[in-house]
Amino acid sequence: MNGTKRTMTLNLTPQEMEALDDLAQRKDLSKTAVIRQALRLYQLVDVRLAQGEKLFFEDEVQKKKAELMVL
Amino acid sequence: MSTQSVELIRLDPSEIVAATLHAGLRPSDVLVVEHAWAEHRARLIAGLSTRGVPRSDWPQSLHWNWEAKAPQLLLLQASCAGIFCDERWQGLMMTKTAVHMATLAPDVGKPLVYVDFLETAPWNWRISSLGQEPQFKSVGTLLFKEAVEQSIREDFHGRVGLHALPQAESLYERVFRMTRVGPDAKKQNLVYFEFTRQQAHRFLSGGEP
Repeated sequence: MNGTKRTMTLNLTPQEMEALDDLAQRKDLSKTAVIRQALRLYQLVDVRLAQGEKLFFEDEVQKKKAELMVL
Repeated sequence: MSTQSVELIRLDPSEIVAATLHAGLRPSDVLVVEHAWAEHRARLIAGLSTRGVPRSDWPQSLHWNWEAKAPQLLLLQASCAGIFCDERWQGLMMTKTAVHMATLAPDVGKPLVYVDFLETAPWNWRISSLGQEPQFKSVGTLLFKEAVEQSIREDFHGRVGLHALPQAESLYERVFRMTRVGPDAKKQNLVYFEFTRQQAHRFLSGGEP
């Protein structure tokens, strides 16, 4: 995505910061990139749900499929 | 929108010409491109039909419609780049960044830039049955390079993935030297290709991947 970037302060609990650190390390991303990815994904899911679609998680090995309820 | 200067190769007369690569195209920009391309597509379809060329030999992106793809750009995960030269758009590429993950070691499960659509303008296709030669070369290579550079800007270290149309498989496998992961049953059995970070860096440095 292009355009001028803006800076904001993010207030997180220790647990949230730990989760952010963990994701950044496992995905080899900066914390900013993790937040950016999360926002993209959240927007995508929100738009698709608003269009009446459903979100599923599927385990191909165990042949299990579960709908993720987003309220 | 951001722009950078690039060079294309014109085939007739043979010369290198200045062009611009634009990243961050908006849906309205893409509509302009589609309207310009649709006319040429229609002429190609008419020519191929008249000559009785089997559908299997038609360019496989001939049915693409960027106007239909444009609304996807309203989402943060999608972006579009294009190359402009000679007062015309010479190629377009749409990439996605939210849901596609690397499948190759050592970065399995890490995000990559997924090239959803990459197409050169219809007048840049070689269609032997119509005697059409491309007006410009290297449009696709420059757009693919932009995908790799986007991946680096995104903190994805150059990782890129895509599903190739059968007519484009050799380009990605033999020219760009991407890893052929294999046919994907979830994507009409199109072959999935991927660039690891190492391959991407060698590609950008001009070395052998």
